[in-house]
Amino acid sequence: MDKLASLLHLTPALLWMALKVIIVFAGVMSLAAIFTWVERRGSAMIQDRIGPNRAALFGKIRIIGLAQILADGIKMFFKEDLAPTDANRNLFWLAPFLAFVPALMGFAIIPFGRSFVSGGQTYHLSVLDPGNGMGMLYPLAIGGMAVYGVLVAAWSSNNKWSILGGMRASAAMVSYEIGMSLAVVSIFMTTGGYDPAEIITAQGHLPWTWNIVRQPLGFIVFFTCMFAETNRLPFDFAEGESEIVAGFNTEFGSMKYSLLALAEYSHMMTASALIATLYFGGWQVPFVKDPTVLMSVACFLMKLVFFAWVFVWIRWTVPRFRYDQLMKLGWKRMLPLSMVNLVVHAWFMSQSH
Amino acid sequence: MGVIVKKVELSWLDRTYVWPVMKGMAITFDHFIRNLFTPTAKRYTIQYPDMKKEMPEGYRGLHELKRFEDGAIKCVACFMCQEACPARCISIEAEEFSDLNITQGFEEKRPAIFKIDMLRCIYCGMCEEACPKDAIWLRKDYEVAAYDRLSMQYGKWDLMNTYAAADGKERISQDPTPTVPRRTIVM
Repeated sequence: MDKLASLLHLTPALLWMALKVIIVFAGVMSLAAIFTWVERRGSAMIQDRIGPNRAALFGKIRIIGLAQILADGIKMFFKEDLAPTDANRNLFWLAPFLAFVPALMGFAIIPFGRSFVSGGQTYHLSVLDPGNGMGMLYPLAIGGMAVYGVLVAAWSSNNKWSILGGMRASAAMVSYEIGMSLAVVSIFMTTGGYDPAEIITAQGHLPWTWNIVRQPLGFIVFFTCMFAETNRLPFDFAEGESEIVAGFNTEFGSMKYSLLALAEYSHMMTASALIATLYFGGWQVPFVKDPTVLMSVACFLMKLVFFAWVFVWIRWTVPRFRYDQLMKLGWKRMLPLSMVNLVVHAWFMSQSH
Repeated sequence: MGVIVKKVELSWLDRTYVWPVMKGMAITFDHFIRNLFTPTAKRYTIQYPDMKKEMPEGYRGLHELKRFEDGAIKCVACFMCQEACPARCISIEAEEFSDLNITQGFEEKRPAIFKIDMLRCIYCGMCEEACPKDAIWLRKDYEVAAYDRLSMQYGKWDLMNTYAAADGKERISQDPTPTVPRRTIVM
């Protein structure tokens, strides 16, 4: 590490930072890309279809259809990039990035492995080191920013259907954010801190001490709200083929559409990382007290991929909600439930000392 | 008359929504696992150019004109199929082909031209029903397509060879017995 840093004329800390940024963002982006394929293939399996299995590298190497990602990418690059006549050009250009960047940024706080000491220096496996003062407030705030991506995309494209989709999605996201935040607050309370590293260490390595067992109600609320946050299927109000064409991305084509789609999947990655961190012990390996760094990273990745898969799984199981049902669920069920969760845990804490 | 709509009373467990979702997820997961461990070739989907559907008995596909072992056509050009055809897609021209009439006093007929317009054909199988010699039948090939109209006009040799590859027979393009030059028949 030190040698490489001196070769590149960087301090080890700076090099480590750069490496982390590259690993995390490249990792999340490639995972998101892979999950576009997983989604199609998984949904096909669930519905007794076959799914994309014919795209092949050089027309020969078929690797169970994984080349579909490349094929899609190449196709998207070479599509004509159209903007509607009366669209707000600048915002129309900006919107995909506004959707994509917050989806990735949320991941920065999440420790994806155990911190380790090498050469008298501690290396933390998260882009933002623990103890930065933002903690879990940061992904919540960034998650709030994600509304802009959808809304700006919808508004700038000068299309009735788009704006309807964007408005619906932003309303859903805003109303579910409250329930979600309250569920997270009760975790802050029981942990006694809002840093993800603290939350993970507080959960310990035994699966029955994880927050999923301690706060099942909070988990259900958080999990449901995450679907609304990522705009995925039971709550995908940004889109809706039967009602508002393709919703907020109706007017987007070529790489802009691709970015919007990738944003959804990156958001899914961030959401499943949050779920794993908050409720499933983050990088903690079950029943292993002192896992090696590699083991912890692998365990975190497994949890991440599993929850991303659950997102896909639920999408192809549950039918869509109606808009009023969504609002009813958000305000009349999720919010009271998370409040009950908060109060119950507060009461327990007050009784315990 | 009003229609009575039955409302399903949900139990409290179903009204939580969590339990039914989990049941649904179990169903989808079951399908997922079952498909995951089934080879692609054995799933419901027939991947068309690679795999083809086995057609049921009695399927009426592309016609074949049958032949004898020496390659002679079984058809005697009796025009029964042409008459029976409701789409009028068969057109036959007969010819005589043996010199038996010199010695025996009769001659044999066979189609010189036997044309089926596959664009007109409705694959009803009436030609097969009508044929007294079992010389034409409809078999299981359903891939009747072409780039232009002309190649949808199936001639005698096309029809005799439609299933040559499937049956492992060789393709023929010539009658084993040459045609006798038509003589003036005194009537």
